[in-house]
Amino acid sequence: MGRYFRRRLLTAIPVFFGITILVFCMLNLAQGSILDLMGEGSGATDADRSALAASLGLDQPLPQRYLSWLGGLLRGDLGNSYTNGKPVAGLIAQRVGPSLLLTGTGVVLAIAIALPLGVLAAWKPRSGWDRVASALSLVSFGVPGFFLCLAGIFVFSVTLGWLPANGMYAAGRFTSLADLLRHLILPAGVVCLSSVGELVKQTRAACLETLGEDYIRTAYAKGLTERAVMVRHAFRGSMIPVLTTILSHIPHILGGSVVVEQIFGWQGMGSLLFSGISGRDYPVVMGVTVVIALTVLLTNLLLDLVYGLVDPRVRYGKG
Amino acid sequence: MKRLIALLMAAVLALGLTACGGEKETAEQVTVRYGLSNAWDSLMPYNSPSGSNYTRIVCDKIYDRLAYVHADGTLDPRGAKSWESTDDGMAVLFHLDEKAAFHDGTPVTAQHWADTIALITNPDCPALGRGTFSVLAGTDSNGCAVAGEQLGAEAVDEYTLKLTFKSAITPEDFLLDKNRELYVLPTHLLADTEPADIMELDLWDAPVGSGPCKFVEEIPGSQLVLDINKDYQLGCPDFDQLVVTVIDKSNLLSSLISGDLDYYAFGGNLSMDDAETAKAGGIEVLEGEVPNTFYELMLNCETIPSAEVRRAIDLALDKEALCLQSTHGLGEPTATDVTPGTEYTCSLTWQRDVEGAKTLLEQGGYDGRTYTLACTSNRSGLAALMQQELAEVGMNVTIETVDSAALFSGMADGKYDMAIASHTPGALPLWFTESRLSESNNIFHIADLEPYTYYIDQIKSSSGWETRQVMLDKLQELLADQRPFIPLWFGRTLHAQSPTVDNIDYPSSSFSNENIWAWRMKEA
Amino acid sequence: MEEKRLGRSPWDRFRADRRAMVCLYILCLEILAVLLLPPLLGLEPNASDLEAGFWAPPSAQHPLGTDDVGRDLLARLLSGGQVSLFIGLSSAAISTALGVPLGLLAGYRRGAWEFWIMRLADIFQTFPSIVLVLCLVTVVGPSATNIVLVLGLLGWTGIARLVYGNTLAVREREYVLAAKGLGARTGTILRRNVLPNVISPVWCSIPLRAGRAILSESSLSFLGFGIRAPQASWGSMIQYASNLTVLTARPWVWLPPGLCIILTVLCLAGIGDGLRDALDPRFDGRRS
Repeated sequence: MGRYFRRRLLTAIPVFFGITILVFCMLNLAQGSILDLMGEGSGATDADRSALAASLGLDQPLPQRYLSWLGGLLRGDLGNSYTNGKPVAGLIAQRVGPSLLLTGTGVVLAIAIALPLGVLAAWKPRSGWDRVASALSLVSFGVPGFFLCLAGIFVFSVTLGWLPANGMYAAGRFTSLADLLRHLILPAGVVCLSSVGELVKQTRAACLETLGEDYIRTAYAKGLTERAVMVRHAFRGSMIPVLTTILSHIPHILGGSVVVEQIFGWQGMGSLLFSGISGRDYPVVMGVTVVIALTVLLTNLLLDLVYGLVDPRVRYGKG
Repeated sequence: MKRLIALLMAAVLALGLTACGGEKETAEQVTVRYGLSNAWDSLMPYNSPSGSNYTRIVCDKIYDRLAYVHADGTLDPRGAKSWESTDDGMAVLFHLDEKAAFHDGTPVTAQHWADTIALITNPDCPALGRGTFSVLAGTDSNGCAVAGEQLGAEAVDEYTLKLTFKSAITPEDFLLDKNRELYVLPTHLLADTEPADIMELDLWDAPVGSGPCKFVEEIPGSQLVLDINKDYQLGCPDFDQLVVTVIDKSNLLSSLISGDLDYYAFGGNLSMDDAETAKAGGIEVLEGEVPNTFYELMLNCETIPSAEVRRAIDLALDKEALCLQSTHGLGEPTATDVTPGTEYTCSLTWQRDVEGAKTLLEQGGYDGRTYTLACTSNRSGLAALMQQELAEVGMNVTIETVDSAALFSGMADGKYDMAIASHTPGALPLWFTESRLSESNNIFHIADLEPYTYYIDQIKSSSGWETRQVMLDKLQELLADQRPFIPLWFGRTLHAQSPTVDNIDYPSSSFSNENIWAWRMKEA
Repeated sequence: MEEKRLGRSPWDRFRADRRAMVCLYILCLEILAVLLLPPLLGLEPNASDLEAGFWAPPSAQHPLGTDDVGRDLLARLLSGGQVSLFIGLSSAAISTALGVPLGLLAGYRRGAWEFWIMRLADIFQTFPSIVLVLCLVTVVGPSATNIVLVLGLLGWTGIARLVYGNTLAVREREYVLAAKGLGARTGTILRRNVLPNVISPVWCSIPLRAGRAILSESSLSFLGFGIRAPQASWGSMIQYASNLTVLTARPWVWLPPGLCIILTVLCLAGIGDGLRDALDPRFDGRRS
């Protein structure tokens, strides 16, 4: 087990560098750089452009730029933003919290709704619960996120006036928990709605699957109540696909939701990534990628280990 | 499992909250919430790669400028109380306001202004946008100070700044053109730093200026908290704090209606189409008087080498319909880039002429090739309309919807043949042409700039209105004949009035300054 | 073998499922409508009717009104349907075609297969999709095909992980071990013994994926990386609702494409459920 774990850790390293090289090349393949955005495309002179290129190191060849970025990374330095010159690590540190709060709350809410609902729907197919589950996943899969945001703002902020339409705090900074929570409800609700559908579907499908297994029949035969069978056996047996789905949300939790953050003016990683892309601020995009890549690699490690814990039949490969 | 979920939830909440929560504020402060659809980049005004209006409008709060420019082109005192022309129009004296002071209490003197300009024009200083200063004596065409020459910015006495120019210019024209790029920096805090290291200073993380607002804290790209500078020389508003938040433009109006924003830049601009929605939401709407957008179709004169073909495109476009689609009736189609309502005029008119366009296409030897028209995604409808109009005269066009970085780079390297762009018009005759018809920024790929630069230099160097107008007419004739770009229309906007704040000079916001010192909270 | 015992082919069982059949009919009808109606009715999705004006409300001439440049919204709804159904179905198909075999191989063969496939999945899952989209859009230009490629290529990891996780559990089962012991070839074991037992969550995930792809295109439009103008798609049409006035005062603009997306997702989900039930005999009989 320990050896397996060590091996997985070691193999994560080339994957990590693969990702950074790929993203770096992709970014530089994309058309336009920060130099094209100077003076909104028209007000700057060639002298301005070459001055900026020199100060950002954009006049160096591509491999050299990658290597110097990598060198910085190994020293723990993610470089400085092209647009505002601030250290990227600091920018990301400012944004991780809000993203974690927003997407984390949304996804945890979604899990809290989806697990019981999925089990109930599988337990009594075509019952009221099953219909609720279907309807919920339909909304989740059939309505685009930006529409949920804007419709939510229109209903709850503009018409009813119950909830704030933007931002994290009423006065620009943390004053009270209640204030933050009030601002959190609408965007987190949208995040929850957009991820709940897949979770419900997966839970229901996995539960149905396990209900057909032999050990469930044995459990019934032993005279256990239906309830006990559902909770103790069917639910546990269906954990693998459910966990897969949940853990696949983790990079999303950290990466934030671009659309939701953009519309609500939420200060998270998603809007940082988006402004980094549209402003061709490569160090910022690379920094966000590194952080997300690290989390994904760690969760995938975790996922493989959890498979083993949940389902003891899975044996780890030799060596 | 329930326990696990609860635990997970608590952990996430706790993590998020610790990361978000700053120190608690107990004092009751009146805050004005200010929305912006795009982020500023740098809070050091001479280190902004984009040089965008978003950065300008934010720097306008922290730093002070010489004057306040109204939308109609009139000027009010700001950092300078008055100004006068001297040395036969070759120089201008600015009499500074003695009450002006930096946020650290240091009075602003003429020396600060002169030192700022000396610093930014210093070739060792990695400043951006110093092209602004190329009008000053002692600088080269990029705005770098020339060694051995006297720089045209000096402090005559403690409160008199003298700017000397390369050619005669009136103080009004100078301010109209350059005021939004001229800020005074706290040079007393920069004295010990080498010019080359200026941008590395920690000062720019918490900038000190002499503007109407003081920096408090920033989440770059997302939020800026400013305190009102109660000692500002022109007075201060009756609230304590200004919070600038970046919100997607689809949420600006809804936030204003729901009361989660007090105002949004620029000037609460609102399309005609949204006016009824705003009114239904209880927002008062006023119509702007002054054109604040200018739309053009950029052409690539290298891939569309024939002037006849370029003129044919001009004739093929139904500017009336395009203008209506974009402005919903708040715009005037135009044949020129000269802003209507200013001192200068242009007698050219436009008309759609499908047959004429076909003839011109034939004369120009159009071979039926397909041109690429680039636009940003919010203008794809406009592009689709143009595509149909050009198809009517037999010209094939495909549309590429890209973001602005790709659009400008594609125009610069010749990947696209046409692109739709819009600008904030200026009151000066050369506001559009001077920077675009120059060797260092030849965005239209014109093979021979000489004829244009001849007229531009003539207009710049002549002093009287009359000679300038004559030269301007000649330049416009040349442009009409060569059509390196196609002027489309000048648009106005509606201003969604703040439900909570009074006395906002909405129209002037488009010109990158706001009279925040005069804003007043409405009685509840 | 099981099929013989039950005496019914999967197709028979699928046909007996009324709900699934209704969904299949509706989807076919939808496909036929978007393909055949525009030429039959002579609808022009890209021509502006300047007389009707911009944002005209529904009328006899334009049953669904006109859009921001005076184009007939009904014509755009139908031609947009072609694009959206294409994007949804093909990207889901690409994801599945890549994800299922890779997941099976990784889970069953393990060793080097598992290592390379799952590490590749790591890379793809980590990759910020918006970077890939930006790159593709600016290098080769925005188009429906490119969006299909991007969404399809990025989507396989989810399916592969699902299949992989299930395969890990199934490969140690008695029937698989027995088949192996009897000397069956790997391909046969995978096809006959493993695949049927791991595929059912995939069946219900494909239709949802297709629906999500249709919506992703809409989000891409919102961020400015949508399909090539003047082409229409349901995603880009529902995009009009990002304007407060359209959202509140002109529901006829965004409601039809929205309903079309929901209907499509609903039908795809119904078909997916039906397929799963039909292909997995264990569900037979327990469900009414």
